[in-house]
Amino acid sequence: MKTPPLVVVSGKGGVGKSAVAASVALSAHRAGARVLALSMVGNGAGLASHLGTGMLDTAPTEVRPGLFALTIDRSKALVEYLQVQMGLPAFATLGPAARAFDALASTAPAIREIVTIGKVAFEVRKKEWDLVVADAPPTGQIGSYLRAMKTISELVPTGKIREQAQWMEQILMTETNLMLVSIPEELPVSETGETLEWLQAEPLVKQVELVSNRVLPNLETDETNLPRGKAGDAARLHLLLQSEQRRWLEVLPPHHRLPFLFGVVTPSEVAARLSDEMDDWS
Amino acid sequence: MTKPILVAGGGGVGKTTLSAALAVAAARQGIRSLVVTVDPAKRLADALGLEGLGPEPSPHPSEPLLWAAMIDASASWAALAHRYADPAVADRMVSNPFFAAATNHFPASQSFAAAEEAANFLDARAWELVVIDTPPSAGGIEFFTSPSAMTDLVGGRLLRWLTGGRLPGRRFFFDRTARPALKMGDQILGASLLEGVAEFLMDLRTTYDGVAARSRQIETHLRNATTLVVTTADPTPIKEAIRFFRELPEVASRPAGVVFNRTLPEGWIDARPGRVRMELAENLQRWGSESRRQRDLRLEFASRYRTDLTTIPWKTTPPTDLDSLEAMVTDTEGISLLPLLRP
Repeated sequence: MKTPPLVVVSGKGGVGKSAVAASVALSAHRAGARVLALSMVGNGAGLASHLGTGMLDTAPTEVRPGLFALTIDRSKALVEYLQVQMGLPAFATLGPAARAFDALASTAPAIREIVTIGKVAFEVRKKEWDLVVADAPPTGQIGSYLRAMKTISELVPTGKIREQAQWMEQILMTETNLMLVSIPEELPVSETGETLEWLQAEPLVKQVELVSNRVLPNLETDETNLPRGKAGDAARLHLLLQSEQRRWLEVLPPHHRLPFLFGVVTPSEVAARLSDEMDDWS
Repeated sequence: MTKPILVAGGGGVGKTTLSAALAVAAARQGIRSLVVTVDPAKRLADALGLEGLGPEPSPHPSEPLLWAAMIDASASWAALAHRYADPAVADRMVSNPFFAAATNHFPASQSFAAAEEAANFLDARAWELVVIDTPPSAGGIEFFTSPSAMTDLVGGRLLRWLTGGRLPGRRFFFDRTARPALKMGDQILGASLLEGVAEFLMDLRTTYDGVAARSRQIETHLRNATTLVVTTADPTPIKEAIRFFRELPEVASRPAGVVFNRTLPEGWIDARPGRVRMELAENLQRWGSESRRQRDLRLEFASRYRTDLTTIPWKTTPPTDLDSLEAMVTDTEGISLLPLLRP
């Protein structure tokens, strides 16, 4: 199956979403694709460090030839949304009204989300990229982003924002792969399970792909005959963690696995190692 | 006099378990202790002998000085609305179609509800030690910033500007200053959406006096409490621990120390495996390199933030009874946590 042009990477907090998003971008870039990696969260520092670059700008910046990155700043994205997509005049001249609208929009439901996901959809629609990879909010919030267009359509009977919502919804339904990252532990796996469940009842994206991160290598050894001392202690810890991990890996349908990286320190090294693994996936 | 200990940290680092362990260790030293947890795993609730753990503190069946209570993390704006607004206004707020959306948009309200509950237990003066397991939302820092965030929200510039001063009313909303933004909003969002939002915000504004007064009391509690930051050596918890050390001195107080949970033995670094099978030697070498990463990170953290450092060994089974919970506090390495428990 051909990879859809938009990959949205989510998962429970702390499972390595930014590392996986950066790795997807690096792997596709290595295969010759023109790639945009963008961060929907915070200031994009996590994505930036995994791509081995400094602070991200709100405009696409070339990290290496053919690989671009940006971070979405909500108020700038709102201005861009109103100007480019709504056809409003230059926003700065509206002065205090613009600031007030920004404040209002951040209180009104679904506006913040539609502005952010709208920017992502807008980049996909530009057709400048072979692949857009989004480092997305955690699974706890991803629903309100993916659902933002529906929420708007329900709340607003008419108006431009409603028309805009429709083509964005189309991009999610026809061109988007939602990648749910977890680690083989109880809470991340159950969050992934819950997300899969409501997505089955309410499909909002074209396809969902699961990835388990930090999977320990198999230690095949005779458990009953472990020596005393450090090697035996390390083996006992490993075997216990391994059996715990296996239990949680089996809860989810078959999916891709990324290895636990022992002793690896820098984020860019993590992303480089994970992207090597992804090269063998397709 | 009640001594409060706040156990802070991101999600999944063992914060709830350590909170319980501190209360168990204290109770066994003769200190009347209460642990206040948010959403404990079933295993832990069982360990505390409290299957039906509820919001009311209850004593442990076999450990009379150990009390436990659970905060309902979903208690949020609905509770706040009923506490700080007139009954009719509160009902209108809760039934406003934007109420649910606004609650999602402003998760600090849940942290505020938790902080408020915790403060109630301190005000009760019924325990010598109260250990509070803080909720992990927004990296955990939100628990500490929620009083000012809540006050800002209900009394902030946006609301004042929209509602036009101390006595909010619909006519102020349609005041001259608001008109250009509203016209633009109408055009893009539709008038009904804005009206609903406006009504909700104006109702919210009536809670200001109550919320502001309680916030000041909660902030005083937070400033006087002893805070322990818990983390593992994983990247996300570390980022959150750093935030606590950078931001807590401003909003509460300087953390008393950092606790690294799930620590690998330093003896595994560059260890000689001895005469063992090859797969075991390789396995020890891998875990040794991970242990080195953990140690380097701990030492850098402790020196950069000039803090006391306590480590808890990586146990392969979580504590399942009072003895193993107590051991979590007594079998640490580095700076002992026991002196912190004394009233």
